Amino acid sequence: MKKNLRFIWLLLKLKISHLMVFRFSFFGAFFADGVLFLVQLLTFSIIYGQVDTIGNWNRGQMLIFIGTFSMINGLNMMIYFFGLLSIPQKIREGGLDLYITKPGNTLLRLTFESINLGSAPLILLSGGIIAYGVSMLHTVVTLPLVLGYAVMVLLMTLLYYDMELILRTLPFFVLSDNAINRLEGEMLDLNFKIPGVLFKGGFKVIFYFVLPYGIMATVPTQLLSGVLTPLGLVHALGVVVVFTAFALWFWKFGLRHYKSASS
Amino acid sequence: MEHIIYTKNLTKEYKRFEKEAGLKGSIKSLFDRQFTVKTAVGSFDMEIEEGEFVGLIGPNGAGKTTLVNLLTGIIAPTNGDISVMGYYPNTLENEFKKQYAVVMGQKSQLFFELTPQDTFGLFKELYEIPDSEYKHNVDYFVDLFGVSQFLNVQVRTLSLGERMKMELIVALLHNPRVLFLDEPTIGLDAVAQRQMRSFLKEVNRDKGTTILLTSHYMEDVRSLCSRSIVVNDGHKLYDGDTDRLFDAYQSHKKITVMLEKHSAFIAPKGAEVLEENEHKVVLLVPKECTSDMLAAIMQDFHPQDISVEEEDIGNVVERIYAGGAYA
Repeated sequence: MKKNLRFIWLLLKLKISHLMVFRFSFFGAFFADGVLFLVQLLTFSIIYGQVDTIGNWNRGQMLIFIGTFSMINGLNMMIYFFGLLSIPQKIREGGLDLYITKPGNTLLRLTFESINLGSAPLILLSGGIIAYGVSMLHTVVTLPLVLGYAVMVLLMTLLYYDMELILRTLPFFVLSDNAINRLEGEMLDLNFKIPGVLFKGGFKVIFYFVLPYGIMATVPTQLLSGVLTPLGLVHALGVVVVFTAFALWFWKFGLRHYKSASS
Repeated sequence: MEHIIYTKNLTKEYKRFEKEAGLKGSIKSLFDRQFTVKTAVGSFDMEIEEGEFVGLIGPNGAGKTTLVNLLTGIIAPTNGDISVMGYYPNTLENEFKKQYAVVMGQKSQLFFELTPQDTFGLFKELYEIPDSEYKHNVDYFVDLFGVSQFLNVQVRTLSLGERMKMELIVALLHNPRVLFLDEPTIGLDAVAQRQMRSFLKEVNRDKGTTILLTSHYMEDVRSLCSRSIVVNDGHKLYDGDTDRLFDAYQSHKKITVMLEKHSAFIAPKGAEVLEENEHKVVLLVPKECTSDMLAAIMQDFHPQDISVEEEDIGNVVERIYAGGAYA
């Protein structure tokens, strides 16, 4: 593990230094993700600008929710998105060969190999939105509360990772993953706009247990605004544990079924 | 003595989905899936000693790459025994992976946005190469391959030939006991192919590295490997001395003639025309007549360029079949 992390750390240092040498890539990435965030903000302001509450959530909670999803998405884009995105192509074209034959953990390397610092501004801007949302709540923000929120955001980022990994492991068994990618896009789009507390009945079951996108930004928001119940906390932790265990098992299972591709 | 590579009855089968042609077949396949079993490698026996340079040759789709994938642990066999340096490859133990290297002509292990020097550093971490060994090997291979001027440029800016040299260096930095080369000269021009062969010869001789080379270029095998294994349809057709293989089964050479004006060209008697267009003619000629025919073409047609190559592996495989000289 230590050796794997040393390799990733060195790779990250080298990539940052090269991004800075080739300045266009560095500033280009910042520009692209910054614009993306502003577009998202504009979209949300149009949708939510005219209302103060949705369900029993007030405006401050809505802002925290938007900022939290944006932050989780930013962390995803910065740390592992591009690494995981490359997995299906590597499975189909035999590119995994060169990872499997190298010492170290294949999944760890794939996960962290394509870190993209261009999403860092998105995370910072999300932090600003969350702080503004908190200021509208008129509640006392303590250090333990902030730390708890930070841990929950990281756990939900891990859950997001699990979901992406599960979907990107499917190409070990199926030829085309277009439909799955489309489904993922639609689910994210929906859950990016609507807090999980608004789902009822079958939708709640789907978005809380089967495809738990519904809890990703909702639970940290509930925690920060002081409305998360003990049961809600246990459920969130349980979902993270179950999905992480399943994602790792599914990856190993898929790797055993890897067929490579002839050169 | 224990063999560094050993296989007995090694078999790899794949299940392939099949459907009838047309829309009707597609609809039927939704409810009634039909599969066939394809044997990529069948009951394959092979023993290789430490330090050998062995050529694994065969036409496209013969099973060469599947064999390399089995030996490197990328895929698991369906049946049979397999041992590489005493390990069962598919368990993919780190200690096993640190003792071999694989270079695939069409798959790069370099980091395209980094420089070769940085990539070497990453491989040092990956394989936990001690400082002194790392420095010694970098100096040795950079000097051997003559690539010192390319160490600090981005990999993506290198030519294919330069990149292949870097691929070999990163593969050899940790002093692997076994080097698997899968079509390492594919896409390279004639000069780069010759250079690559000369480097590989030197690595095998100087470092004692066991090398298993798969190629469908007969030139690669003829100039590098004292022993050849011919594979077709996943089965071994020939295993033995490379010179004997060429003497017995390679009866022709391929001559490529580049002409200013084709209209005046007439193929010499006894030559078979394989390809013909306005400026180029490719001939298949009996091996013993090659020099006479070359001289005649040079004298009569004054070609712009002329080259002689070994004939395709497919013809050799056909003759082995016809001769019944199975391993």
